[in-house]
Amino acid sequence: MRSPNQARLRAGVLVAGPLLVVLAALPAAADPVESGPWTSYSPSFNVQERGCGDVSDLTFKLTCSDDDGDQRAERRYVTYTSGIRQFEGYFKIISLGGTRVSLKQTFKDQSGAYFMLAVERGGRLYAVNGGTTIATGATIGTEVRVNTVHEVGRTHRTYINGSLKHTVSSDSGGFYDKLGAYRTSSGKGPATVEWSDIRFWRK
Amino acid sequence: MTHRDGRTSIPTARLKVTTRIPFLTLLLVAGLAGCATPPPRQAVAPETSIRLSATLISATDITLEWQGGEPDAAGHIVEFATEPHGRYTILQFLPPHQTTFTHPDLMPETSFHYRVRPFYGPASRPIEITLPEGPMGSATKDDHAWAAPRSIPGGPIAKHAIRMASADAVPTGLKAAVMHANGVRFRWTDHAADEEGYLLEDRPEGSADFGVIAVLGPNINSFGLITLPNEKKASFRVRAFYYGKPSNLAGQTTGTIPPGG
Repeated sequence: MRSPNQARLRAGVLVAGPLLVVLAALPAAADPVESGPWTSYSPSFNVQERGCGDVSDLTFKLTCSDDDGDQRAERRYVTYTSGIRQFEGYFKIISLGGTRVSLKQTFKDQSGAYFMLAVERGGRLYAVNGGTTIATGATIGTEVRVNTVHEVGRTHRTYINGSLKHTVSSDSGGFYDKLGAYRTSSGKGPATVEWSDIRFWRK
Repeated sequence: MTHRDGRTSIPTARLKVTTRIPFLTLLLVAGLAGCATPPPRQAVAPETSIRLSATLISATDITLEWQGGEPDAAGHIVEFATEPHGRYTILQFLPPHQTTFTHPDLMPETSFHYRVRPFYGPASRPIEITLPEGPMGSATKDDHAWAAPRSIPGGPIAKHAIRMASADAVPTGLKAAVMHANGVRFRWTDHAADEEGYLLEDRPEGSADFGVIAVLGPNINSFGLITLPNEKKASFRVRAFYYGKPSNLAGQTTGTIPPGG
């Protein structure tokens, strides 16, 4: 399911120049979820700041309440094309004056946002592409753990705090992860989001 | 999500907003100072006596059960990690009488580790709020700067230890200002000297129980909430709190998912 603004999303990504390229993931001291064997890896990324977006390490801010234009503060990780990829990270909504701000996306090359996890209603509700609610009644001020497992060409699973919340089939092709704060087509800031303990594995 | 706090026995102050004008800000004054929920009686966080066990009830569902606990606890938090000494994440705040919790639809073939911790502290007198009708989008011009947690200066000079069960440490003067059809700003007076933070708790109409909806830092006395649809009419209160010691760790490893499952 794709949102109406995906063409604009894709265009924004294609013209986005890398501001910074560094290694992303921490050494994988933790065990990944689901059956292995998994191999940890550290994909590189660039930082995208558009409009009122501001990135400081793993703190992502949208400082304005504009409900139009390209407002983003994100990391864009490198593209992968095969295998099974696992992402793990923890986010905390520091403040959300706006709504419908995307926290994590999986993009398909040349197609746009294939998976999007967004936050609404002051941080109390999580939704995916198209507005489907996957978790509500979240406790403001607590950290949330996210694991995604993407079997390229088969399926993409999203776990929130250990529980499966979303499954979508996956085509083959090139994909990449993005995380931070991004104004969706029906959303706006301001928002401040902190991510931590970002890890990647593959098999 | 339903919760129950058996220590809330003081009648709720009833305040009703009848306006239907969007964006209209109304100030609602809470109950009287000094009429707060009785504080817990213990002086310090006791050694935990909670004994936790975890049972795999299906390939991807784990049920927790615990026994013991502290009679003065305001509730418990359930936390999980996928390594025994890994990073623990809060799953839920639970009322003190609840002694089971099911963690559903879990990641397969993964080790899950759990612990339960009590939390303590006195709650303010609750206030009841009725919000006007209106969709979430009716506040599009509001940047919700009023919602950020903050410490408003001018509070009491003398503060008191909630760990010493001081009745003077109870938060007082809880007030609510309806900022729009789906937004409420709360303010209160912080009397606590040693809290780990404040909890905002609510009890939607039709529910017998209060539940934790926001965890705020210490010394916070102003916070704005964006409400959920079931909170058009609800009671709210704030609690100065601190965590007790955790239970033993309990773990299980989930199974495989059958094909097509």
